[in-house]
Amino acid sequence: MMRTLAIGGFLVSLVLFAAVEWAARREGSRIPTLGEVCAYVMRYEVGPVPVGRIGLFGFWWWLGWHFLAR
Amino acid sequence: MEQPHDLTVEAPRVWDRPAVTVPVLVCLSLVGGRFPSFSTEANLWTLGTGGVLIWLGLSNRVPRRPAPRRLGAPAAWWALPVVVFGVFEGATFVLAVGDDFPTFSRLADPLLEDHLVRSAVWLGWLAAFWGLVRR
Repeated sequence: MMRTLAIGGFLVSLVLFAAVEWAARREGSRIPTLGEVCAYVMRYEVGPVPVGRIGLFGFWWWLGWHFLAR
Repeated sequence: MEQPHDLTVEAPRVWDRPAVTVPVLVCLSLVGGRFPSFSTEANLWTLGTGGVLIWLGLSNRVPRRPAPRRLGAPAAWWALPVVVFGVFEGATFVLAVGDDFPTFSRLADPLLEDHLVRSAVWLGWLAAFWGLVRR
């Protein structure tokens, strides 16, 4: 029962990711795509240090390492 | 006569085209998909490919697409899937009752044992990474 709840919850979140991305790509949509949100986050800098880029690259690398190497 | 720098248009590099990048990413993914979890090869491959992409992303060697200057209120829609995922990942992680209420990683592990699925996930990871580098 709890296992089904977990699987259902993760599936719902994945479907929501796809749905919001689909809504963002519609003609005239004001919702930014996930790529645009990431690009905006990556603009963040503290002085000359691109904190946003470093943070997002680090997170994405860790995600791949976690699933594909660990 | 030398052209002023701000009037010249940089020609796209030969390697910076889908006809080149897609086959390269597919080859990298097929190799990565052959390495099982917890192997030295998988760790080195992840470090190597990720390291090169991070280096490309932090240097100015790859042309970037313009980023939006600000995000409007509709961007808050992205909080919905993030919060739903975070609630379930947090709850399954904190309760830590194994397969009865599994984390996302625990659910994905059996699927990733298949070489083809593993290669497909590698391709998704690398393609998204390349997309981030271009941003």
